[in-house]
Amino acid sequence: MPSEYEALVAALKLTDIPFAEYAWRSRPEGTYGVVSLDFESGQLEGDGVKCDRAWSASVDVFFSRLSERDDLISTVEEILTEICGDSWELNSTQYENSTGLFHIEWVCTVQDGGDA
Amino acid sequence: MAMTAKIEGMEDISEMLTALEEEAQKAAAAGLYDGAGVMAKEIEKGVNGIKTAPFKYASRGGMRAPSPEEKEAIRGAVGVAKFDRNGTEVNTSVGFGNAGYADVAGKQKAVAQVANAINSGTSFMTKQPFFRRGASAGAKAAEAAIIKTIEQRLDEKNLK
Repeated sequence: MPSEYEALVAALKLTDIPFAEYAWRSRPEGTYGVVSLDFESGQLEGDGVKCDRAWSASVDVFFSRLSERDDLISTVEEILTEICGDSWELNSTQYENSTGLFHIEWVCTVQDGGDA
Repeated sequence: MAMTAKIEGMEDISEMLTALEEEAQKAAAAGLYDGAGVMAKEIEKGVNGIKTAPFKYASRGGMRAPSPEEKEAIRGAVGVAKFDRNGTEVNTSVGFGNAGYADVAGKQKAVAQVANAINSGTSFMTKQPFFRRGASAGAKAAEAAIIKTIEQRLDEKNLK
């Protein structure tokens, strides 16, 4: 498992947002997050350059109160910048009608073992 | 003090440059068309690899997998958007933007929305990032296809 990914997981778990890796056994009430190593590959574009080894992860945060939004975004994005440099992006924002939850998803693609 | 210079007979060169720009745009569009096709095929492979389970509502606090009907709704729906041309620059995108609606277990659902729910997950459905995986896996092959087609096209026109 890439060391930068492990650092990302550790840093997210230190925040006030309850984070699980891959999935929650039972979803918590209120705000929560999920971090996943989506794939490692031999031919990804990481850090804006072609590379032979890279990994891609995603960070998902679910919340119900819009007033939380800005704090959640800055918490996650500060960590992503610290660990992944500029190799991350906001991939999607959604609202789930059926649950009333907002869902923000960030993805990062980082060259394995390289400087982020 | 000023000096005036005049060049005459530029019409031919101007026409030649206009023709060159037109050819360059055609070559770029042809290359992009082939590259987008390669990318779409890689994403479609990702669709085929989506793991499903018969639909049932997620239990409270639990998760469910995409259903076979949801997978079927997005199968074959990856498309290439209309080309946007500006000078020699040509842009397009590959995705589900023009896929319309599909019947999923008796309900009409936007195909792009179903694809996004599977790719990014929801609070009750596990994510399977088939789109990002396909796009990443196809990037190099798509780039190679674009360059090959452009070079062939320019060769045919003796513009290399």
